Amino acid sequence: MIQKKICLLGTSGVGKTSLIRQYVEGIFDKKYLTTIGVKIDKKLVQLEHQNVQFMLWDIEGADRYSVFQERYLRGAAAYIIVVDQSRSPSLIEGMDIHTLVRQVHPCPTVLAINKSDLETRWHWNSKELADYKELFDLSFHTSAKTGEQVELMFTELAELLTKER
Amino acid sequence: MSDLLQDIAIALDQAVLRCDNPLAGELLLVEGQSSWLSELLPDSQYQQPFIIEDDCYFLQDFMVDAKALWLSPENGRLRSGFWTESLSSGRTLHLEAVAIKQGNTQVLLINNQSEEFRQRQKTIQSARELTLANDKLQEQYQYLHHRLLAMINSPKGISDSLSPIIAAIENANFGVMVLDPQFRPMIENPAILEIFDYQKDEQLSTELPVETLLRLMHTQLPECTRILSTATTWSGELCWMKPPHTLKWLKVAIYPVKDDNQKLSHWLFFINDISRLKYLLQRNEKLTLQDPLTDLPNRHAFWQYLEKRIFEQQPLFLLYADITDFKQVNEFYGHAEGDRLLVELSGRLSSVLKKTDFVARVGGDEFAIVLNGVESVENCLMLGNRLLAVCQHPFYTESQAAYHVSLCMGAVSFPDDALTAEELMKFADLSAYNGRSKNVKGLQFYSQELKDASRQRIQIEKELRHGIENDELELLLQPILDLKCGSIRKAEVLVRWNRPGHGLVSPVDFIPVAEQCGLIVALGKWVFEHAMQLLKQLQELDLTIKLSINLSPVQVMDSSIFDFMQLCIDKYQVNPHYLELEITEGILVDDYEQIHRLLTRVRGLGMSISVDDFGTGYSSLAYLKRLPIDFLKIDRSFVKDIATDDNDKAIVLAVIAMAHNLNLGVIAEGVETSEQQAFLANNCCDSAQGYLFSRPIHFDGLVELLQAQKDGVSADWQPK
Repeated sequence: MIQKKICLLGTSGVGKTSLIRQYVEGIFDKKYLTTIGVKIDKKLVQLEHQNVQFMLWDIEGADRYSVFQERYLRGAAAYIIVVDQSRSPSLIEGMDIHTLVRQVHPCPTVLAINKSDLETRWHWNSKELADYKELFDLSFHTSAKTGEQVELMFTELAELLTKER
Repeated sequence: MSDLLQDIAIALDQAVLRCDNPLAGELLLVEGQSSWLSELLPDSQYQQPFIIEDDCYFLQDFMVDAKALWLSPENGRLRSGFWTESLSSGRTLHLEAVAIKQGNTQVLLINNQSEEFRQRQKTIQSARELTLANDKLQEQYQYLHHRLLAMINSPKGISDSLSPIIAAIENANFGVMVLDPQFRPMIENPAILEIFDYQKDEQLSTELPVETLLRLMHTQLPECTRILSTATTWSGELCWMKPPHTLKWLKVAIYPVKDDNQKLSHWLFFINDISRLKYLLQRNEKLTLQDPLTDLPNRHAFWQYLEKRIFEQQPLFLLYADITDFKQVNEFYGHAEGDRLLVELSGRLSSVLKKTDFVARVGGDEFAIVLNGVESVENCLMLGNRLLAVCQHPFYTESQAAYHVSLCMGAVSFPDDALTAEELMKFADLSAYNGRSKNVKGLQFYSQELKDASRQRIQIEKELRHGIENDELELLLQPILDLKCGSIRKAEVLVRWNRPGHGLVSPVDFIPVAEQCGLIVALGKWVFEHAMQLLKQLQELDLTIKLSINLSPVQVMDSSIFDFMQLCIDKYQVNPHYLELEITEGILVDDYEQIHRLLTRVRGLGMSISVDDFGTGYSSLAYLKRLPIDFLKIDRSFVKDIATDDNDKAIVLAVIAMAHNLNLGVIAEGVETSEQQAFLANNCCDSAQGYLFSRPIHFDGLVELLQAQKDGVSADWQPK
């Protein structure tokens, strides 16, 4: 069985921990508890022809209280930039992280536009959003609360990574 | 000794592992055997070599960095940062590893940091909750502000109650009020009534939300009178106490809405109850008095300090500064960069001040500084200039793009100028505001002249508004000649104001006021429309020449300007090929995208574009190459000494050569002597204007000149 390290990145409060919790445990807790440092969870993804063990690195949100640590990306097979569609600065910050990371660690990338159960607050139109999505290999409108597209995102990522081998 | 170390390691909840062979990565537990370690690393037996396996993935990953450190010749120490492990027993550990290299010893410490983790999580949790709440508020404000402004400015206006925006206001979870200029409510949403505990069916004597708010502003905000009388945007916090039980902190943002004539048409008020946020802040005493972004004392701390100094009767100077271009930085680079600027600027300001001085962030982009022990106005001026000079060096965005901002700064002295904290703040604010509105660089002291000048400016503004409505303006035209043949090819349209009681007022005395107060938009439209009437008359007289009309930077940014011009052209049935727009150099770099769009559309109609006062501002060849421009107008200051000053000669020759290389025509301004004319003509300058040929003249005078030209009567300036 192959093992893949997947990093979840983004500014604080976008729902990285909640996405992992929904995916691994099927639980959503609406109380916000900020992540400090790193927490790693494992999840077995069962594909049609093979299984993939995901090591999901939930990394503390990059913001003024926490500087983004490039070294956490070492060995990552892919990374997921998580943004919050109800908070437009999170997209800009997510894109900034993406720009930084793809220079130092080129690998498949996913854009998770999270909190799809909430009203969209940003002012980007579909064309602008499509332009942002183009910078990623995959993109999804996820909701850690309802589970929408969460399983799909990780499964498609696993398929992409196994195809790449 | 070993027992002692063992006891210390256990007391510190720490495991000490030695690595004798970094290449192999084998570890040896030397101190700190504990139950959590056995669970985390089951192979770790006292003094038994083992290797970290896959099941402790974070530590295994950190070993890569640790090995690199251990193998390097230098001594050093490397921390892993916090990580969380969920053990199979259900226990959760919060750990941090430290790799140490000291001489020939390589050590890995694993610290159980549960207590530190919880402490850090508690602090960061509050801070992030605040940030999120603030982001959300900002977002809602911006969204509704934008939508409301669009609605109010739309032709249907506010009466279109079916607009979905009304529904959005009704459902907003923060208070929204739309008021008329006299502060009479036109729209109030349920949230605002809830914030102020107001029941619509209460007795009439109950204070309305707007009345409460204005009362709070007047009592808590020294700048209130200035903000309301000059219709200025403001945002900040107010405290509302309603005995016996109510104490609310309100975040308030007010926006004036103005019409084309810059007349106040509405006020928008956004109010949010931030009492919970305040409570979160108060959980940490330091944060209550500190601005979380810049770490400077906040407005609250500033008031406390100022009042204490005044109570102690300590003479002081109070400086009030704001960033003139902050809005542009926020709009252009985004709010994160705006925050970066505030942090950087705070640092720069603090570095200039002594420990005995006091600097606080008192508003969005506003800082207040108390200078203690400064004995004279001259010394205060010197210090003020040093503070202003911190903006001489560029600021950098995260992606290393450099930009400049400037500060406008006002100063007052205690006890010379005022005796209370409120008055001092009010006068310092007024001084800074006046400096900014006059575009004056440097420290502005509060003075009687300042008060008078401010009153005079307000008077001009008031009369000019009236003047535009009553057609007190008139247009003069200054011919522009083709230097080869001496014929009048164009005329620049210039505006004068026939101010009642003052006679004909030169543009230098009223255009800056119009630009500062936004009246320039209405004035510019007046000029454009009346110029169309003149062009129409010239067409009818078969004396058509091109009319060149100035466009101010504010007009360029006015989104309705193109539609307006097109409307006028259609209305008067004039040929746009006979129209030219003059823009100043500065506009080119101000907002490239906007100017490019406007100029391209204008050119599409057939109008031409000239760059006025060329050489006096910041120009980039790149802009000249990329923008649709037809002519450069060399500023009069270069033309003045052209016959005698070698530097000016060189500049003018260089501009002509550069312009011709870019296929641009060149017009020289301020030509007053035949020597200047000869020099320009001999060096291939295409056109010129100035007193040598004609002063700005009335329309009839221009018609006479054009008629004479048509009839073949040669003028004095024409080549014989």
